[in-house]
Amino acid sequence: MPDSVRVHYQVELENLEASALEGLDMVNVALSRTMEAVEHQDVELAQVVINDDDRIDGRYLEVHQSLITLLATQSPVATDLRLISSLLHVLKSIERMGDQCVNVCKVIPLSGTEPPADAEMVKLILTMGGHTRTLITQSKRAFEERNVEMARDLVRRDDVVDNLNRECFHLALAIGDDADKREWAMTMLLAARAIERIADNAVDIGEQVAFVVTGLFREFEDASHPS
Amino acid sequence: MAQDETRPEAARETREAAAERAAIAVRPEFRSNAAAGFEDKVFEMRGIDVRYSGVAAVKGISMDVGHKEVTALIGPSGCGKSTLLRCLNRMNDLIPNAEVEGELLYHGEDLYGPKVDPVQVRKLIGMVFQKPNPFPKSIYDNIAFGPRILGRKDGLDETVEKALRRAALWDEVKDRLKNNAFGLSGGQQQRLCIARCIAVEPDVILMDEPCSALDPISTGKIEDLMIELKKEFSIVIVTHNMQQAARVSDRTAFLMVELDAEEHNRWGRLVEYDVTEKIFTNPADKRTEDYVSGKVG
Repeated sequence: MPDSVRVHYQVELENLEASALEGLDMVNVALSRTMEAVEHQDVELAQVVINDDDRIDGRYLEVHQSLITLLATQSPVATDLRLISSLLHVLKSIERMGDQCVNVCKVIPLSGTEPPADAEMVKLILTMGGHTRTLITQSKRAFEERNVEMARDLVRRDDVVDNLNRECFHLALAIGDDADKREWAMTMLLAARAIERIADNAVDIGEQVAFVVTGLFREFEDASHPS
Repeated sequence: MAQDETRPEAARETREAAAERAAIAVRPEFRSNAAAGFEDKVFEMRGIDVRYSGVAAVKGISMDVGHKEVTALIGPSGCGKSTLLRCLNRMNDLIPNAEVEGELLYHGEDLYGPKVDPVQVRKLIGMVFQKPNPFPKSIYDNIAFGPRILGRKDGLDETVEKALRRAALWDEVKDRLKNNAFGLSGGQQQRLCIARCIAVEPDVILMDEPCSALDPISTGKIEDLMIELKKEFSIVIVTHNMQQAARVSDRTAFLMVELDAEEHNRWGRLVEYDVTEKIFTNPADKRTEDYVSGKVG
């Protein structure tokens, strides 16, 4: 085989992948802060997360534009084409994850400075947050390593988050007759739901890993026809 | 239908077989295989070796070419694409000391059989070359040349008009048919050569880098033309432009250069042959991937 050519294009594509996947680190930071804000009812920290989401959106726009330029100028095919297509999906998932953190942070001030928090429900949500952070880290690693098995394992981890979300729902139903407490629980259900969606987005990234490696796109789990 | 009446069970079998085939064709797990299968083959190559003065140019090429499809041959310089193309209408016969071995069937008949007339082969299997090569004659006479050689005297005007229309050139030249063909632009000359080729009603058109000397607009016209022409003809195209192969062909064959242990001799070898979409989105062979991605040349 002759020496490799189109080195600049290859380097640019590698840099864009790294740049896109760094978005997952940014989401992980946002989610950590979001969980801290939930735990301590920290309205100011919640506002920091909301403000910082512009950075995640900026990363999305910047890498998205560069990928479109690469498509227009370099005519990528085969694995490169699949990689670029999947990065466009991954970027969208990252942007959604950031937005879900913002959604959680927006509901935190609604319950006031000293809400009638239920310790068990807060603990459940923090546990969901911890698992979801692991999912995000694992989805990034699976993408970097093109590891389909690791990507498939995200479904198992996502099931844990789904179950915790259901537990939150049951807790909210059984929270009692106090109107303030019920309002707080409903607000926290929105937060739990947003975290559950972040975990789903991590699974979506896993599906893109399988697409890059195999060329076949299959949803790991069909939400409309669960097995 | 007579067969159905005398052997109703045979007709039923056929219907059942057809129903089963249809069922297979729509089952998603079979879809890719159905796409990969040939409805009808124009060429079947088995173990084709070509040597010039005893030196191998291509070795062991086995592939089929679909009827009324566009088949692209791609690969780096010296991989034997043009050599292989020239086997398909026995153009290699014209090169002294060229030898072709292996089995090459054209519609199931041996193309290199002792009774086959190479002139008749080249009438049925026409060729368009890299550089437009009109004869130093009028536009009309270029197109009428082949039919006249074949003894046609009547209806030449209709033949010329039909060929020029099929080659999407008629509207541009209809008012100057008696002008010299050299007055046409490069792209028009190439379409004239395609018209000249189809005027003798061939079955297959071989194209050896037909657009490499043309500008993008002329290239686009030829590519549009290929998609129109494949409704009536089978087309095999050699191209260096991979995007062109991706745009116009139904199937793509990737050939590459192979070297012997001492690196003294080199010959072409078929690496991968599949439907074009597969070659450009998910090729099976790493070497194909590297070539179509432009990572190696």
